[in-house]
Order: sequence, then structure tokens, then C-alpha cells
Amino acid sequence: MDDKTRTAAGIAAGLQGIKYDDKRLAELAAEVQVLNDAVRQAAAERLTFDDDPAAFASLMEREARK
Amino acid sequence: MSRDALALEDLSAVADAIAARRVTSVAATEACLARIESWQPRTNAFLRLDKDRALAQAAAMDREIAAGTRRGPLHGVPMAHKDMYYREGALSTGGSGIRRNWHAPVTATVLQKLDAAGVVELGFLNMAEFAAGPTGHNVHHGHCRNPWDGTRVTGGSSSGSGASVAARMVYGALGSDTGGSIRLPAAACGVVGMKATYGRVSRAGALARSWSLDHVGPLTRTVRDNARLLAVLAGHDANDSTTSEKPVPDYESLLDGGVSGFRIGLALPDDGPAPLDAQVGAAVQAAADTLGRQGAKITPLTLPDFTALYRCAEVMVKCEAAAMHRPWMEKHPEAYANQVRTRMEAGFFIPATQYIDALRLRAHFVTEFLAKMDGLDAVLLPSIPFPIPTIEETDVESQGGPATLAMVGRFTGLTRPFNTLGIPALSLPCGFDANGMPIGLQLVGRPFDEATLYRIGHAYQGVTDFHRKVPA
Repeated sequence: MDDKTRTAAGIAAGLQGIKYDDKRLAELAAEVQVLNDAVRQAAAERLTFDDDPAAFASLMEREARK
Repeated sequence: MSRDALALEDLSAVADAIAARRVTSVAATEACLARIESWQPRTNAFLRLDKDRALAQAAAMDREIAAGTRRGPLHGVPMAHKDMYYREGALSTGGSGIRRNWHAPVTATVLQKLDAAGVVELGFLNMAEFAAGPTGHNVHHGHCRNPWDGTRVTGGSSSGSGASVAARMVYGALGSDTGGSIRLPAAACGVVGMKATYGRVSRAGALARSWSLDHVGPLTRTVRDNARLLAVLAGHDANDSTTSEKPVPDYESLLDGGVSGFRIGLALPDDGPAPLDAQVGAAVQAAADTLGRQGAKITPLTLPDFTALYRCAEVMVKCEAAAMHRPWMEKHPEAYANQVRTRMEAGFFIPATQYIDALRLRAHFVTEFLAKMDGLDAVLLPSIPFPIPTIEETDVESQGGPATLAMVGRFTGLTRPFNTLGIPALSLPCGFDANGMPIGLQLVGRPFDEATLYRIGHAYQGVTDFHRKVPA
């Protein structure tokens, strides 16, 4: 079991109370790494302290075609 | 008019005929019931059909017309809906085994609107389990089959909606779209499907897949039908705080006028999770040429790299779905299809900070995409970039997580980005592949500009007949 799979095992058992076998934990660790890396990189490139999730809704209203 | 000829009419024509008392709602309902009797064994589009209730409702609509009351432009029209729209006291399975015997405590806002408009409800339609699946597979209620070829997928998750409209069993149907679930079955079955702007149509009383990405919308035979239906469905709802208070245009009155002077960006992306098939690319290019001959200015457009945006959507769906499904996933994991459960499990492992950042990134992605659309009225691209595959070759139920993720990615590569962006996207038929299966194009617009997409789509359908083809 590699470090990421071990971390996933810890989250599953220790934090979420859900059991998975080692094969599935390895798959999940790989899947989550891809997602986390993508979000972290996109966030590093774009986000600032003041970015608010609600900006999406207000932007849609503002950008509505007149 | 024969019963079958009546069933082959489109929604607007039937609604207008009922209003003019040339046709009764009962006759239209009986025409649909006859089509259902013929097509249900071949498609498995319906999960529940309520003939008696529908006929009683139709008779009541006819009495109102006879008394001089017309509720609106859908009065007396038979429809059916994806089995995820709640009706108080009625069964609502969500396509699942878990809710096989569950009765809804409320009625969905969109069903209330259709009731008020005088729509006749024939029953509820097949769908992917909990609206999670882009193909139409369903291990609990049986796979939905494409009316054009029963060995091929319908697209999902609104599988029964696409199949029933295509086979002329109903004049229109509600679907829902979290990553393409209206547009994929519309494309695969050769009908019209609109995912309107996020906030345009209420989600209250609709089974959720992902609160942030779910869109409610109509599937119909023509763009005119779709415009008529959306005008009834759209609008602010106090029961859904994400709905907009913007006035709803009379979309149907804005259909005419053509596309002369419209600027349309043509995107034929060949670098997504599924390469663009040559037949599909040629059909979409031909559609662009058609619109060009009608006076639109077609400009080649390179789409931005959607990878980060797509991943953010996955984070939202997985985290939100894992949260809402957690009690069942803990107690009854075996009650889910593997391909449904395994797509949610990563949600238990994604840090909350990543989920929140995905939400915070949405406004940036919208700003970037609208900059790409600067000077354009719409973007034209394929709905599904490859020919419609068979049920067998896309059955990943026994193959586990990675195979499921790859299959989903291939189907939703060109649809899911517009759920993240929240902007309107309309799918309509633009050809047939070598297997005789429909090909769909997608028109994408600016926020709350469904009217422009409808106008372009209507102009296109005015000079083409792909939407008039009926599976035999």
C-alpha cells in the first residue's frame, strides 16, 4: 500500500467510518489525486482571498443578455 | 385524422388543434396510448403508465374547452416525465431500487406548472438510477432502448424522455441535466432538448443529483415545441432560492426572424476524452454551412481547455452526491448499481477546501468562456462526438470504477462543461450516422439567452427535416 492509499484508508476508516478493500482504496486514491491536483492548480492560477462561491450567481445575472 | 397520424403531430400543432376544437384531448391521449402499446415493449421507456388517470384528465380538459376555458398553450396535451419529479402521495423511484416503493411528500414546482397549464400526465419514464449515468442503462428497471435501434443506448440519464419523444409516444417530456442528461438522450434519440440557464427553471421537488449543477428542462420533437414548453416551466420559485427573478420571455413569439447577421462560433474539438468522429464532424459542419447559407456568419472557434472545469464539476457532483446518499451508501451499498455507487465514493475523500474552491472557480470559468464568446451570439458544437454505441459495448457494470469513469468522460466531454458554466445549451438533430442513428448538434449561448438558441434552432429546422424523421 503506497502513501496515498494509506491516507485514503485512514480517511475511510478513521474519519468517514466506511470500509473499502485495498484495491478499491488504491483506485479511489488515484481518482481523488487527479481531481485534487486539477482543482488546486486551477485555484492557484485564479483564486484570491475575496473570491466568493456566490459570485457565480450574481455574475450570471449581470451577464444576462439584455 | 387517423390515430397514428395524430400521434405523429408535434406538440404545438396538437395543442393548437385542441384549442380550435378540431381534436379532443381524449383523442390525442388515446393516440399516445396506442403508440405506447406498440413501442413500450421495444424501448422500455415507461416505468409507470396510468391510462385511466390520463384519460380522465383529458376528458376534464375537453370539458373545459367546451365551456370556453383554455388554460394556456399546452391545454390538453399528453406528456410524461422522467421518474424523478415528485407528485405528492405518488410513487417516485428516481430510477432506483432503493426508492422502488417510495411515495413523494410534495409535488414538484414544474409539475404544478404543467398541471395549471392543463397538461395531461400519461405516467413516468425510465431514467438512469438516481440520474447518474449517461447511457440509459438501468439494472433495477431494465435498460431503456433506443427506438432507432433497440440494441443501442438512448443516452441518459433522461433515457425514457428521449426514447418516448422520439417514438412519438408523448408530445414532450421533462428531463433533467447535471452533466448532459437532457442533451445526450436528445442527441442519441434524434429530438430537441434544452438545458436552460442555471436558475431559469425551478428544481424544487425534483430528485437531486447535484444541487449546484442540476438543470430541469424539456425534450420535444421540434424547437417550437420546446420554446412553448420552457415558457411554461421557467420562472422564479420561492421554493428554489437559486431561481432567477428575471422575467421569462415568450420564447415562441421570438422564434421567427431568421439568423441573418447572427455570429456563430463553430467548434469541432478533436482533443477531448473522445475524439471527434468524422461522420459527426461532417454533420455539424454541414449544419454550420446551412446556417451560413441562411445568413449567419460562421467563425471557427477553438474551445478553451475544459479539463480543469470538467474536474471541478466532478468534484461538485461527487461531494454533493456522497453527502446526500451517505445514509444509504453506508447501510445498503449493494442496493446501488456498481457504476452508480463507485462514481460517488470519491466524494468521501475530497477535502472540503477543494469542493469550496471548485465552487469559487465557477465565476472565473464563466468569465473566461464569455470572453471566448465575445462578439458571438452562440457557439455550435457536437452534442456527442461519436456514433451512438450499443448497450452491450457501454455496459461497464461489471468492470468497476476506472472503466465507469472513462465511459462517462467519453459521453459527457462536450456537455458537462456547460453545466459548470450554467449557460444555456440546446441539442437538436442534424443528421444520421452510417448505422442509421441520429447525430445531434449543440448550440450554446450567453446566460439567460435561450431565445437566441431557439431562434437559431428554429431557423435550422425550417430548412431541414431531420426532426421530422420517425423511427419505424
